[in-house]
Amino acid sequence: MVPSIKDEILEIVATVIEKEVGDISLDAHLVQEVGADSMMALEILAALEKKYHIVIPEERLKEMTTVNKIIQMVETARKRG
Amino acid sequence: MSCQNMKNSQSFKDRIGIVSGGTRGIGRAIVKELAAAGAKVAFTYVKSDAEAKKLLQEIAAAGSEALSFKGDVRDYDTCRDFVEQVKAYFGGLDFLVNNAGITRDKAFMAMEKEDWKDVIDVNLTGCFNMARSCIVTFLKQKKGNIVNISSISGISGIARQVNYSASKAGIIGLTRALAQEVAPYNIRVNCIAPGFIETDMLTILKEELKDKFRRAVPLGRFGNPQDIAKAVLFLLSEQSNYITGQVIKIDGGLHTSN
Repeated sequence: MVPSIKDEILEIVATVIEKEVGDISLDAHLVQEVGADSMMALEILAALEKKYHIVIPEERLKEMTTVNKIIQMVETARKRG
Repeated sequence: MSCQNMKNSQSFKDRIGIVSGGTRGIGRAIVKELAAAGAKVAFTYVKSDAEAKKLLQEIAAAGSEALSFKGDVRDYDTCRDFVEQVKAYFGGLDFLVNNAGITRDKAFMAMEKEDWKDVIDVNLTGCFNMARSCIVTFLKQKKGNIVNISSISGISGIARQVNYSASKAGIIGLTRALAQEVAPYNIRVNCIAPGFIETDMLTILKEELKDKFRRAVPLGRFGNPQDIAKAVLFLLSEQSNYITGQVIKIDGGLHTSN
């Protein structure tokens, strides 16, 4: 089965934050609830850009607060091509 | 050309970097040495279009590629715009040399707040603006190198340079703190503290004062901009891979006689 974009992004986030996928709920605040920091957010951004061949401007880092928001951001960026 | 020379001439091949304040003095020497070593260099300048054009022509004549950008490092948005243009034009970014600097030397009692602000804004805030504009690129690629040009004025302090000494001491603090913060991302940050170097900044001094300074230098001469440029290339090269957060004094031995 091909993994969904949701599963792929969750996997990337979990790897960077060093947590289990099952421990991260899609709407949990990554900094306040999951324990991420700004450098981890940047690593997630870099990994997403590489995997999906997209460019996410640095200014959007502060919007990457939950996995759901990251998914939306990636989907928007992919549609833009 | 010997093999060694050929190797040296290609040692920065395909590496892309920025030098702030590139048309005069130490900055110009850094740009030229980097270009001669094969780097693609983008430099900023504020005033002289003619000097910038001349430098671009010299580099092109020597078979290298460079880019000039007229803009003031004290403006954050200008720096960000410049860095984005460099990345788009050359297709990447490997290093930054924060060189842009000014002096407004005066007795402290005659120093106006504008003299203070101008020097801090260009020399120290300019350093922040450029480094901040480059750092996300370096962090994402887990590779980068920053060399900041400080001064012995920032280490020892020099009378009538309270503003300049403060700005250059600030650059040393910036260097050390940033070096620690970004070292895990394979980014090195170092600093060079030149002593008395033969540039426009020195030619404005009175002859008798210059003689006094010259006599104080154990090596018996003022440095030339190439003396600094060569050290910058060393810090940007793989030869210095284990050096970060350091301040290298290049002053003809001046500090040893204090």
